[in-house]
Amino acid sequence: MSEFINENPTVVQKNELPRRKEDDVELCFSGKGSDEAALQRRKALLKIDHCPQSQVLQESELLDRLLSKFTSPESEWDDSETATEESDEPADIIDAQEIYDLIAYISDPEHPLSLGQLSVVNLEDIEVRDSGNKDEMAEVIVYITPTITHCSLATLIGLGIRVRLDRALPQRFRVTILLKAGSHQSENQVNKQLNDKERVAAACENEQLLSVVSKMLSTCQ
Amino acid sequence: MIEDPAASIIPFIANVGINDEKAQEIAIGLSEGVVQRRFKLLDLVVALKEELLSNEASQRQKALHCLSSVLAELPEDQLSKNEVSVVFSFYLSKYEDSNLIKETLHGLSSLAKMRYMSRENTESLMDLLTSKYQSGSFLAPVRYFAFETIKNIYMRNETKLVADNDFADVFVKCYIHVVSGEKDPRNLLISFKLSRQMTSTLKNISKFKEELFDILFCYFPITFKPPKDDPYKISNADLKLALRSAMSANAEFSEDAFGNLIDKLTASSPVVKNDTLLTLKTCVDNFGGEALVDNWLPLWNALKFEIIHGNDESSPIVPVGQSEPSGDNVNNYQEALNVMKSLSYGLITFDGIAFEKFFGHIYEELKPNFTHDKDLKQSCCILASIGSANVDTFNKVIESSLPLFLSNTSATAKLKLIIMNLSFFFKAYAEVFNTMDSSDEKIRSNKLLSFKDEILMILSKALTGTSKVETTLRTLAVIQFTKMTTMKDFLDKDEVALIIQYLTETILTDDNKNIYCACLEGLKTIGDTHEETILHVSLTRMLDLLPVSEKAISMNSEPIERESVLRVLLDFTTSKHSLVNESLIKISSKSNSTARCGDDSEYCFLLASALFTLMVNNIDSMSESDAILLKENVEPLLLQLLTEDSNVFIKDHTRMLLSNVLFFISLKLPVAQHQQNLETYKELFNSKLKIFEKPAHHVFPFVQLLAAASNNCKFEDADSIFEKAIRLITSKHPISEFEKLGYLELLMVLSNKWVPEDTIERLCDWDDLSFSNLETLIWIGKGLIMRNCDMGLTFQERLADKLSREDVGSFVAKKFEVLVTDLVLMGKYKGVPLSNNVRLLYKQKYFSEVFPKLLDQHKRTSNLLVKANYLTALALTAKHIPPKVMEPYMPEFTPILLQALNLPMAEVKVSALKTLKDTVKKHNQLATEYAQSLYPVLLKLVLPGPFNDVQVRLLSLELLETLSAVVPINYSQPHKNDIIRGLEPVLDDTKRIVRKQCVATRQAFFELGQVPFD
Repeated sequence: MSEFINENPTVVQKNELPRRKEDDVELCFSGKGSDEAALQRRKALLKIDHCPQSQVLQESELLDRLLSKFTSPESEWDDSETATEESDEPADIIDAQEIYDLIAYISDPEHPLSLGQLSVVNLEDIEVRDSGNKDEMAEVIVYITPTITHCSLATLIGLGIRVRLDRALPQRFRVTILLKAGSHQSENQVNKQLNDKERVAAACENEQLLSVVSKMLSTCQ
Repeated sequence: MIEDPAASIIPFIANVGINDEKAQEIAIGLSEGVVQRRFKLLDLVVALKEELLSNEASQRQKALHCLSSVLAELPEDQLSKNEVSVVFSFYLSKYEDSNLIKETLHGLSSLAKMRYMSRENTESLMDLLTSKYQSGSFLAPVRYFAFETIKNIYMRNETKLVADNDFADVFVKCYIHVVSGEKDPRNLLISFKLSRQMTSTLKNISKFKEELFDILFCYFPITFKPPKDDPYKISNADLKLALRSAMSANAEFSEDAFGNLIDKLTASSPVVKNDTLLTLKTCVDNFGGEALVDNWLPLWNALKFEIIHGNDESSPIVPVGQSEPSGDNVNNYQEALNVMKSLSYGLITFDGIAFEKFFGHIYEELKPNFTHDKDLKQSCCILASIGSANVDTFNKVIESSLPLFLSNTSATAKLKLIIMNLSFFFKAYAEVFNTMDSSDEKIRSNKLLSFKDEILMILSKALTGTSKVETTLRTLAVIQFTKMTTMKDFLDKDEVALIIQYLTETILTDDNKNIYCACLEGLKTIGDTHEETILHVSLTRMLDLLPVSEKAISMNSEPIERESVLRVLLDFTTSKHSLVNESLIKISSKSNSTARCGDDSEYCFLLASALFTLMVNNIDSMSESDAILLKENVEPLLLQLLTEDSNVFIKDHTRMLLSNVLFFISLKLPVAQHQQNLETYKELFNSKLKIFEKPAHHVFPFVQLLAAASNNCKFEDADSIFEKAIRLITSKHPISEFEKLGYLELLMVLSNKWVPEDTIERLCDWDDLSFSNLETLIWIGKGLIMRNCDMGLTFQERLADKLSREDVGSFVAKKFEVLVTDLVLMGKYKGVPLSNNVRLLYKQKYFSEVFPKLLDQHKRTSNLLVKANYLTALALTAKHIPPKVMEPYMPEFTPILLQALNLPMAEVKVSALKTLKDTVKKHNQLATEYAQSLYPVLLKLVLPGPFNDVQVRLLSLELLETLSAVVPINYSQPHKNDIIRGLEPVLDDTKRIVRKQCVATRQAFFELGQVPFD
């Protein structure tokens, strides 16, 4: 094999990893009701002042509170009967970026860098098939690119990603982790090992191994 | 007072070794006796005779110790020539007694200081030390006195030693004999200091230079770790510095010093290397040009290796203004460069030709690097540091070095290199010229000026001629532009203006974070020195860019978001008065026109927010004259906007923010103007706008202006206005929530400042249970409670009683938090006397009174609905009380909050969760106690439901995570699996932010009790 896909990767700076565009706004928005106007105001203010604790923001929200109409709890009780089923919050779907955010910050077992920084995990190598319907099965496929083709830690990295996703995704998701084609000498073997339920379960029984995985996961955000 | 020495000897001897302080005290007493001539020193010797001749060594020792201690306390001129001579011979005879050596040396060291110590005696003392003193056979405290002795000899005889070389020879030999092989830090410190003193003064050093240097160099590099309870308080640095200054004391050492130090440079330890470099620098600085002429070549060769192969830890791309990474980590790269600078300075000040030779050699050696692009950074650093020595070196270096790499290119990689290399020479410029006076001709004739145009061209090409993807290059260009403006008298006004223009354009059109920060820092830095230019070139331009209506704006045909203009404005005007004032005035006029222009309420809101933020950020530093200026220019615009009805389109939030701006301006006006302003406003709002005849939103600015007025102002119509306002709220007039809030705030301000208690009592109707009346009472109560008067207490109690009513209790409960909500207009601001009557600790007082009462009533009632009222009121109030105040109540409060979590009100839950989170972090004990009951409650709250909105779910998850960290593992372990399982459905929450927190919380519980990985 003459050419390695990801040998000597250029290390991506932490703040240059792909991230959701509206992330900043998203983070600051801690779910203040569904008042569209208030939300608009909040977004506008965050554009001119990046701090979610800015006083102007707090004042504007205080006014919202002071102006809020009183509804007696009894009437809310009554409303609730009808309102339980319907959720008026717009849903955020689970997409590739979300999966990426879950696994890109896992540390490499032998570098002080994260998988995203080493381009072991790439946004474009993540596939999500999800209808959004909570009763249907969904699928996530992650292709990883080891830094060298004989990387002995590819299985460990894969295990880390699997543990992370198993813990972080709802049960209806089926996770498949594969090596990117041509990125490893024993591609098939590793793929088999990574997606073998029994072997993954067995690995997780091993406390020592689990603690290594925990260490890798400790840098997740 | 001691009259008879014999009587004091016995207690002295008894105390030696047992209570040394007491012994010392007696010695001082004895010496005072001698000074006051009550007895002679010889009387003391006679009195000690018996002990001195005793067969017991310890007895003799103590006796001599007594004499030596007294001697040490005597002033230098106390003893006559004769006395000194006698005592000296006495001590000489004692030197043979090996048991008494310490005491003898102690005595001799004191004698050496004496003014009437004869030359003969001194010589025989030196002879004694040179021939009979064997340092190896004594302990450090004994040797200490030998060191003291030679030090005192030197101090006493310095002038004679300088004048008489033979005498000096004897002394130096004695010194060498005594200090050789020393190890004790205290003694070494004496030795180094003495060495420094004598080598820089005596004339005979060249005879002994090698020996003297060896005595010093054998300790290099010295390291010493003081023991824990070091009585002498000697630090590693003391020794290092003393040694360094001793080694660099005399140019006679140069040959040995340079050779040996260069050898030491090859050491692998960075600390040793650092010490060596610093010592080299001191040597270069002190030895003078002649020594350098002979030694620069080997020095250069050694330093070259160090610099080219060394690593500069501090990155060169530290944005201006940001402090360089500090810490005690050594930076040998920089130190080596500093030596080069010293070398250059030493040579140029000694002999111009020598410098030419030196620089020519280095230049030729480095020149090929530029053709091969090798070690460019290091080469430039070397050249720049040679240049930074003084004006002459600077000009020479610039003249020959810049042409090596300064070239016009469009290749980004090359451009980057050029700019990075330039930065070192900029630094050199700053070092040489920034401290000079502007009138100095030398600044205007410096050689860098001839390259200025080319440099400006290269930098502007890097910034404006490259693609936006080249962030590093562009950032570099911005940083160097900024650096240039800080170089004294380098740029003229137009050039600075050009740079400001570049930075302004860049910050508005580039959305890269690094570039934004660099530009912002740049503008701020330039603003420190060129405020006027910034105002005209940058600020005015940006302000003009702000559109009046919803029109797209652009700069150099690039579209710009108006939000980014506002953001930049807010970020860079901080604390520069002229900039803040200018922005306030311009933005006010923009918002005035925008509001008339049409229905772009969002933009209006943005402008108002910008005004408000500008005010809040700078209120502390705003002066009365600023306020007067703003009152003239801003107030009319905003008042017009807020009081005109037709043709103005602004929404409630905008109205509030603009009113707040008016509040801030009025607040800062001189108190003397307040009364008159108050009359004017009253006239405007009451008589002209008639806001008390029917509800109008104009009440908002009025309230703010009233709140800003000093509480010493007289307000005659307060009572009637108060009554009218109550009528407006409680009558059946159609009134919007926003207008109502305005009148309620007005009631609060009036009851707080002007309306007497009996009027309030008369006008308040406690039997009217309509919501609007209750709200009125609450707001009036707020004003009173803040004032902390008796009436406030009454209101507090009566309102609390209303909670027990099934019909209106829930309303009062929800509004209860108003009593402690912080409002802008009741706040305390720096530099202004309090306008309102707000007691500092009113919240503490309120909470400590209300909390037990509500808790008690909550316990007593059995009606679930009423219980809920108390819970609501408490939970909502808690949010506004500083956690510190609540601490003592938490043990009682926590179960209440737990119950509140079950109430069907999202707001109450949020408040309770927030308080619980604060509590749990601080009181682990409490957390542990309630964890059992908290877990199941929280697991219910994380699921979506009618009253579990996003915030409730999020906070519950956060609380769970906090619990995982604070609850001891034996308590949490049994729940681990339940929680992990219970959180599983939350992974499929509709909101991403909730999912994210859920993952973090679950991870925390997964790791509970796992094998630690470190």
